[in-house]
Amino acid sequence: MTDNTNPEFAVDESTDDPTTDDMVTGTDVSESVTSSGATMQRDTVVSAENVSVWYNDDRALRDITLDIPEKQVTAMIGPSGCGKSTFLRCINRMNDMIDAARVEGDLYLRTKNVYDDDVDPVALRRRVGMVFQTPNPFPKSIYDNVAYGLKIQNKNGDYDRIVEESLKRAALWDEVSDQLDQSGLELSGGQQQRLCIARAIAPDPEVILMDEPASALDPVATSQIEDLITELAEEYTVVIVTHNMQQAARISNKTAVFLTGGELVEFDDTEKIFENPESQRVEDYITGKFG
Amino acid sequence: MARTDYQSSLEELRDDVLYMSEVVAERLREGLDALERKDERLARDVIEGDDEINDMYLELEGTCVDLIALQQPVASDLRFIAASFKIITDLERIADLAVNLGGYTLDAQRDLFPGVDMQRVGRETLAMLESAMAAYADEDIERCFAVAERDEEVDAMCEAASELVVRDLIEGDYLGGGETDDDIESLMQDVSRLLLTIRDLERVGDHAVNVAARTVYMVENDDELLY
Repeated sequence: MTDNTNPEFAVDESTDDPTTDDMVTGTDVSESVTSSGATMQRDTVVSAENVSVWYNDDRALRDITLDIPEKQVTAMIGPSGCGKSTFLRCINRMNDMIDAARVEGDLYLRTKNVYDDDVDPVALRRRVGMVFQTPNPFPKSIYDNVAYGLKIQNKNGDYDRIVEESLKRAALWDEVSDQLDQSGLELSGGQQQRLCIARAIAPDPEVILMDEPASALDPVATSQIEDLITELAEEYTVVIVTHNMQQAARISNKTAVFLTGGELVEFDDTEKIFENPESQRVEDYITGKFG
Repeated sequence: MARTDYQSSLEELRDDVLYMSEVVAERLREGLDALERKDERLARDVIEGDDEINDMYLELEGTCVDLIALQQPVASDLRFIAASFKIITDLERIADLAVNLGGYTLDAQRDLFPGVDMQRVGRETLAMLESAMAAYADEDIERCFAVAERDEEVDAMCEAASELVVRDLIEGDYLGGGETDDDIESLMQDVSRLLLTIRDLERVGDHAVNVAARTVYMVENDDELLY
């Protein structure tokens, strides 16, 4: 990797532009296949190199190496305890909050290793937003839920515009535009989750991590979230952990299959994984013969 | 093994497709026999038996749709169901062609071109069908490619047979002068029936190749034999 100085999530932030020259290298590219079958090159946004995670003496991830392409949906699937959520949480250092967790290896956001000493995890999380399994809006108004991240940054700006744009991008604006003062907790489950997505995108992150974002929702709300994820990938890089393999098949461009022991067994285009995986273990897992 | 009911359903589908293929092969064999022996009763059996094949086809089609809709198959399971879905269509078409042989038997008045060995072509296409279905059952890729190679021989046999009919028609003295319009009409019908028989048997070979091609896709996700 090249020059690591001055990424905006380092302690001393200096820029809001995620595409500064030092963050884009000519070598960090992933191949992806368009709907027409043409192969195109995409920048790699997140790159893991031999990432391992331990919880005390238990190894949760084993030497994970993969490149997550820009503005695509990358799904992480695998049985419970395979380490997929652990990997997701490595990307924005949520594992820092677990005392027993220890991370080894290198994990780059663009060209910056997010585990470097000079990285401010809070600033990192503005670049790498997260949406959780259970909708968790703050006990505040809809407006304040979305504006919260901006306010704690003391970021100047047109909050009204950002709130409106974020709610529109989260496909919630039309449903709440006349009730922005209402508590976020009064919304339905699906609306709450879209509110959380609006909150995650308000600081204009580059990557959005989603940990089973639809598993607590009914089929209609799930469909709305899935449609939304597809739309979000036009502007953001989305990484989603899901237990629902069909959901991964429906909405992702790339799929990473983690299996027991924290091993990344296969990572490829989603069509390839679900139509003709290389690994027999992956074949057995996705067809239900194992796990 | 997880999803045991689902896995059982897949095995059942495979068994049912193979059973359908056995019935279709039997119909084709009977159609050829009827044609050879001018056995009108057997020909009628083949024609009337087509409803049974159609019912089998519709039932298996429904099974495939149900499996896709309810079980969301992926990877080799998906390819197996997709291949089976296509293969039953080919089997149903082969049964239709066997019905045609039954129809030609009922219509046939005479053997005009004894040099054209329809039975040899028919036996070859029947063997191709059985070989393709064995390849499907055993997931045997080599056998699939052998079926495709065999089809080239069948095509050559059919082409030679058609040429023989045309040449005989030109060179032979089939009407001998003083013929009536009815004589001409009858000759034309005999000739076109024979040419249609050749074409139909050639199509049986093509459907057998389709079965082999779908089997290659099923086993190896490879579309090399398709078209």
